[in-house]
Amino acid sequence: MDKKMMTIDLNSQAMLDKAAKDGVETMYDRKLSMKAQCGFGLQGTCCRICAAGPCRITPKTPLGLCGADEHVIVGRNFARMVAAGTAAHSDHARGIAHTLSLSSRDGNYTIKDEVKLVNLAKEWGVETEDRDIYDIAHEVADIALMEFGKPHGVLNFLSRAPKQRQEIWKRYAIEPRAIDREIATIMHSTHMGCTADIDSLINLSMRTSLSDGWGGSMIGTIFSDILFGTPTVRQSEANLGVLEDNKVNIILHGHEPSLSEMIVLASEDPELVALAKEMGADGINLAGMCCTGNEVTMRHGVRTAGDFHQQELAIVTGAVEAMIVDVQCIFPALAKVAECYHTKFITTSPKAKIAGSTYIEFTEETALDDAKRIVREAILNFKNRDKEKVEIPQLKSSTTVGFSEQAIIGQLDRVVNSQIDQAGTVKPLVDCLKSGVLRGVVGVVGCNNARSTSNKAHVTIMKELIKNDILVVTTGCGASAAGKFGLLTKEARSMASKGLATVCELVDIPPVIHLGSCVDCSRILSVVSEVAKFLDMDMCDIPVAGVAPEWMSEKAVAIGTYVVASGIDTYLGIMPPVAGSDKTVEILTQTLQDSVGATFKVNENPEELAQMIIQDIEKKRVHFEKLVEEKMNEEATVEA
Amino acid sequence: MNLYNTIFNGSEQALAAAKGAVSEAIEKHGREHNVAFPDTAYSLPCIYAATGQKMNTLGDLEGALTIVEGLVNRTHLLEHALNAGLATALSAEVIEAVKYATIDAPYSEPCAGHITDPIIRSLGVPLVTGDIPGVAVVLGECPDAETAAEIIKNYQSKGLLTFLVGKVIDQAIEADVKMGLELRVIPLGYDVTSVIHVVSVAVRAALIFGGLNPGDLAGLLDYTAKRVPAFVNAFGPLSELVVSCGAGAIALGFPVITDQTVLEVPMNLLTQKDYDKFVATSLEARGIKIKVTEIPIPVSFAAAFEGERIRKND
Repeated sequence: MDKKMMTIDLNSQAMLDKAAKDGVETMYDRKLSMKAQCGFGLQGTCCRICAAGPCRITPKTPLGLCGADEHVIVGRNFARMVAAGTAAHSDHARGIAHTLSLSSRDGNYTIKDEVKLVNLAKEWGVETEDRDIYDIAHEVADIALMEFGKPHGVLNFLSRAPKQRQEIWKRYAIEPRAIDREIATIMHSTHMGCTADIDSLINLSMRTSLSDGWGGSMIGTIFSDILFGTPTVRQSEANLGVLEDNKVNIILHGHEPSLSEMIVLASEDPELVALAKEMGADGINLAGMCCTGNEVTMRHGVRTAGDFHQQELAIVTGAVEAMIVDVQCIFPALAKVAECYHTKFITTSPKAKIAGSTYIEFTEETALDDAKRIVREAILNFKNRDKEKVEIPQLKSSTTVGFSEQAIIGQLDRVVNSQIDQAGTVKPLVDCLKSGVLRGVVGVVGCNNARSTSNKAHVTIMKELIKNDILVVTTGCGASAAGKFGLLTKEARSMASKGLATVCELVDIPPVIHLGSCVDCSRILSVVSEVAKFLDMDMCDIPVAGVAPEWMSEKAVAIGTYVVASGIDTYLGIMPPVAGSDKTVEILTQTLQDSVGATFKVNENPEELAQMIIQDIEKKRVHFEKLVEEKMNEEATVEA
Repeated sequence: MNLYNTIFNGSEQALAAAKGAVSEAIEKHGREHNVAFPDTAYSLPCIYAATGQKMNTLGDLEGALTIVEGLVNRTHLLEHALNAGLATALSAEVIEAVKYATIDAPYSEPCAGHITDPIIRSLGVPLVTGDIPGVAVVLGECPDAETAAEIIKNYQSKGLLTFLVGKVIDQAIEADVKMGLELRVIPLGYDVTSVIHVVSVAVRAALIFGGLNPGDLAGLLDYTAKRVPAFVNAFGPLSELVVSCGAGAIALGFPVITDQTVLEVPMNLLTQKDYDKFVATSLEARGIKIKVTEIPIPVSFAAAFEGERIRKND
């Protein structure tokens, strides 16, 4: 098979040619050499949780040595994926909460969004009158840090959900208590000889995932906004073409904005800019990748070099002085790829050391100094660039980014008639949904997966949805795909059908709106929750859906699970390793409808998946419109 | 309630009514019976602008209705809802054309019915200069005559051109609103379909002043949305037919403001229950800004009163 068929990104295809020429191995090579993947693993029926195993389920051996059947094994494996995903997001959030507790007026980290902090403080019962903002910040940070391991009660942010949703969580005992506790409970319950009931394993998974969406990720997003500013609408660009010929190219890859924000600051340091010029470069060019890329593009308009599948290909351009990473979704293979060029592969986090990389530890206490040291390392490396080996692919697309919940409401205010309504609410969005001008809103999120063609499913599904008056919101590598393929421009409304195009024109937004990184999927929860509360409905009543067309990581499993547990149907473009248990499949795709009001649906064909989503949104609208009518009649009776 | 279904239902009703009117007329007068509005070079202006075809006989109208039928597609997308609204407008034009073809004087005082080309030409300059800052289409029935008069006089005092359709005409008369072209208040007719005579004004403005080619529907809609500062005030209970007409207005770029509870569409279909704010809401929705120099005098003062005649009894 031709490797170039494995991605629809033309820049990536050009870089795959170059990698072959340079003798560099990439993920695409490794995928091909992997050949057929193991069926037991793909179906989730292989168990390695004790040393009596590994066990695998076949018609002849329907039980593991301990007697666990396929449902137990699949359920435990699934639950552990959820736990890992939750752990990743939550440790990210913990880092940000720690950073907030270190913030000070004259320190590296300051408070950028005081209003958001004060509002949160009030929500959490922290005294705000006549207090120093930093005292408030530290107290709020401490409360957040307790969310990870508080001994009593349930997570604070659950109260942000519509009350109908909170009741469902209570009824099915899936209210998360403390974040770390839920993760630990899963690891406990999935230990050999513990939970052996598939319903219970799925419930544990939902509870843990909710501690991600309404816990870790939500803390991560809100605290990042408080520390680094709530994103506002701005212009940027995406794809490998953002790398510059004669500048020091630094790629920020990973997830946590505590590092990337400092690198942004350091790259503007006059001394370092002067040093870059001394080295013969025209300046410093920062570019982002994956979710750190999303964080800095949302807040600073830093251009996006690429997505998950382009991390090696960026280095293959030969024009990257440093690839600076922290945690999550970083190919260890980068060490080897970087060896083939002058690129310095710099790891910074003790949570993610990678053999063969240059390790420069970054700590929040000495943040700016550390960042400067790292940037200096990159600048000094410019002289080592081999011009013969440089080939920067030219394609890039302009993007409009920065759509936080507040930025969305700010845009919606443009269409409020001041004689009728107050500004600052989601009413215009609600009205568009009620009237049917927008058929629904779909979050397209998730990764790239070598089991499908890079970017193809993302782009196909987004285009199909916007052609049917469905507004798309996107995060993570879905957002990167949208950006690269021109869907994040206001002009892209020409690809949308009339209803969406009109909304885009009036509200002045692209048809696909970039909400941020993967922790910012919590913004999607917030918006849907606000819409539901505005209508006095549950989240499962609103014509919205989530789709992860090319999901790959355990974080995506946690995200998908908390989205379903929040009442939002979730569509997957990659089959999760659950097919080995018909009961698990039945629960995830059917039974959950009766408890949490939403399910998973899977189809690996992106065109078909898009049609499924569109049809289901229309079905959901029938239910939604009935509720709308009931509420309108109620109001009319009250008025009369 | 499903807004799109309401619109589609209204369009189908309008279409059925138009078909009935045409076939009844053909039965009485034959296919070759002439069809025309008085004093216009644009045949049936809406159909002419939308399709490029001139309608000369009742037989032609049958053909036109086939085109109209093609505009009704019940798929739940805004595009189809707006097309259905246009279909309603075109059906209304057919119904009105049949009236003119089969009745000697379909409209009599105070109703104007069809507006002639010379009148539209005379309105062109003040519309372009902003002397007429907007066109208000007031239809239906206000809760009482005073409310109707207050709103109409408010538009009048701001220099807007106001067209009245339905019972609001009687309410205006009851409350002694002075009407007439020179006073910029024009009662059109009591049937909902007579609203097409104001749509026809907007459409001919596009053909006359916009130099638009007949048949360029996209160009027409763009012109009316950008250049004709019209809006609709719909009072009282809204039938499916009226809602469908409203969709036609929205397709032309004209927002609809109503006192009824409806499924609102930002900037386009708005509910305003406070009659005191009706005028301000409408002007804001259509983006009409009026340069006002308030002169503190005890009577209304505006260009709209320029042609007023003081009669002996006054």
